[in-house]
Amino acid sequence: MSWLSDLLDPGSLPARSLTRRRDTRLTLLAAAGFAGLLWLLEGWAGGYVVHMTTLAGLFVVLAVSYNLINGVTGQFSLEPNAFVACGAYVTALLTLSPAEKAASFILEPLVWPLSVICLPLPVALLIAGLLTALMAFLMGFPVFRVRGDYLAIVTLGFGEVIRVVANNAQSVTNGPLGLKGITHLTNVWWAWGLCAFTLFVVMRLVNSSYGRALKAVREDEAAAEAMGINAFWHKMLAFTISAFFEGMAGGLLAHLITTISPSLFTFFLTFNLLIIIVVGGLGSTTGAVLAAVLFTFGGEWLRVVEEPLNILGLHIPGIPGMRMVIFSLILVAFMIFARQGLMGRAEFSWRWILASRRGRRGTP
Amino acid sequence: MSQGALLEVRGLSKQFGGLSAVEDLHLKVAEGRLAGLIGPNGAGKTTVFNMLSGSLRPSSGSVLWRGRQVAGFKASRINRLGIARTFQNIRLFGELSVLENVLVGFHGRLRANFLSAILRLPGYVAEERGMQRRAAELLELVGLSGLAAETAGNMAYGQQRLLEIARALATAPDLLLLDEPAAGMNPQETAALADLVRRLRDELGLTVLLIEHDMQFVMNLCEDLTVLDHGRVIARGDPQSVQHDPAVMEAYLGTGLESLEGEGGHA
Repeated sequence: MSWLSDLLDPGSLPARSLTRRRDTRLTLLAAAGFAGLLWLLEGWAGGYVVHMTTLAGLFVVLAVSYNLINGVTGQFSLEPNAFVACGAYVTALLTLSPAEKAASFILEPLVWPLSVICLPLPVALLIAGLLTALMAFLMGFPVFRVRGDYLAIVTLGFGEVIRVVANNAQSVTNGPLGLKGITHLTNVWWAWGLCAFTLFVVMRLVNSSYGRALKAVREDEAAAEAMGINAFWHKMLAFTISAFFEGMAGGLLAHLITTISPSLFTFFLTFNLLIIIVVGGLGSTTGAVLAAVLFTFGGEWLRVVEEPLNILGLHIPGIPGMRMVIFSLILVAFMIFARQGLMGRAEFSWRWILASRRGRRGTP
Repeated sequence: MSQGALLEVRGLSKQFGGLSAVEDLHLKVAEGRLAGLIGPNGAGKTTVFNMLSGSLRPSSGSVLWRGRQVAGFKASRINRLGIARTFQNIRLFGELSVLENVLVGFHGRLRANFLSAILRLPGYVAEERGMQRRAAELLELVGLSGLAAETAGNMAYGQQRLLEIARALATAPDLLLLDEPAAGMNPQETAALADLVRRLRDELGLTVLLIEHDMQFVMNLCEDLTVLDHGRVIARGDPQSVQHDPAVMEAYLGTGLESLEGEGGHA
């Protein structure tokens, strides 16, 4: 426990690296605390809560990586459903056993190498992540020839293309029937483990010279170019890394819900992610985390309003779909009163917390 | 190629549709000189800068940088070859801090790749430390040390102009293109700016080409002047001779009835 004693008595280091060390330790402590919480949850909470917590972890991964290209780099793109679909299909096709695949593909048999391959989940996930990143890389060449609204439209088109391909490439994706009987392998540890990995990579990238370059491209692309930054390759970097994590999250999603079909990966998924990162504050990674968790659980908590209610003797029959109305109203309120989102472009930092605590202690 | 010409422009032209913004421009900037490009509004000065820095592709003509043809190169590539610029309509990264704006300038020459940056490998960490140190030095040089943590967009106009210069210097240029650096500055700030530009040449060995409307500033600072009007060079030489050139006087002041008739003819 030397690091713990270091935390209590950090010795003589320059002030700056001292704060950084303290922050790292606090973050590790918080992560350990959160892991303990997950452990308790997995042991004592109901299956439904565990499922939602796992899903929340995956949405955090998706939101954080989507925010990298949309918020940090400022390239308004609408394709994450394509990347999630790619990751989900690749992982599922690699982990399903040959017998299950033969049983599923009734209309047309699965093409050869895929029909016999059966890999463990970690390997399949890595392959899915890399393939999705490759797809993003190739897609980037045509896509980043345009900017702004045009970029949104082109990426939206790609998102649709993938869905249509999934619907029609019978011998690979099993068409509209989708893939069934995927083993339920994703638990809270997989989801939040990937989440920790994603946060580590994305936060480190954003807080590096590369992150500054990405933000420079967002702020003023021509000026960034004039300062020697090749905007195209930096957009490609953000896009590819974002796709890598979205692909892996897609793979875990497939192993959480166990059945996937093209209808799962429509624009609606992208739209939900867009809401999350806008509510969290475009460009804020910690904002994306916060909003993803709120969004996943909020959607469930709001189910209350769809049940029959008795408020002060007034009886309201349950109205299906009511929660989406309330959800939309909350969003409208956000757009009117807090257009910057929960966090704006700020990030959570330990300094805030410690400073506010000190401030409170200082007041009489 | 003539001796000592760091930058040589031959027959550079730019047409926007039917409008000819710059026509057949010839220009030489010798190494270590403080050169100025002046002319009335709309003369095509900024268009020249945009072509030299790669933001705009010339319609024809060539730009020789150290004897090498660079016309039509991407802006980021030209910057890495050693030509940096500032913008007339300040284009800072408004939401980044003053320090970050300068640090962005170093990024183009960063050797560590993104994996090294994510993993904080020793190579990257050493480069990052170097960038932080040099950024602090540059802010000191332009006199913005105290404002390092400030959001760039919140600073006063004159300070933003200085930050643009610091950011351009971070890209380690040999030639600095300054587009109206004194615009919006008060007389004290302008005088300090002139001192700064002279120091950049004397202490850092930079060559400077600048566009400016403040004639006192230009005449005191620049050693070689080129005067543009309607996209063409109408005079060149040292400040003294340019100041008394009849073509320049006409371009700036007009010559009564003739100029009115001229404008009428254009309309």
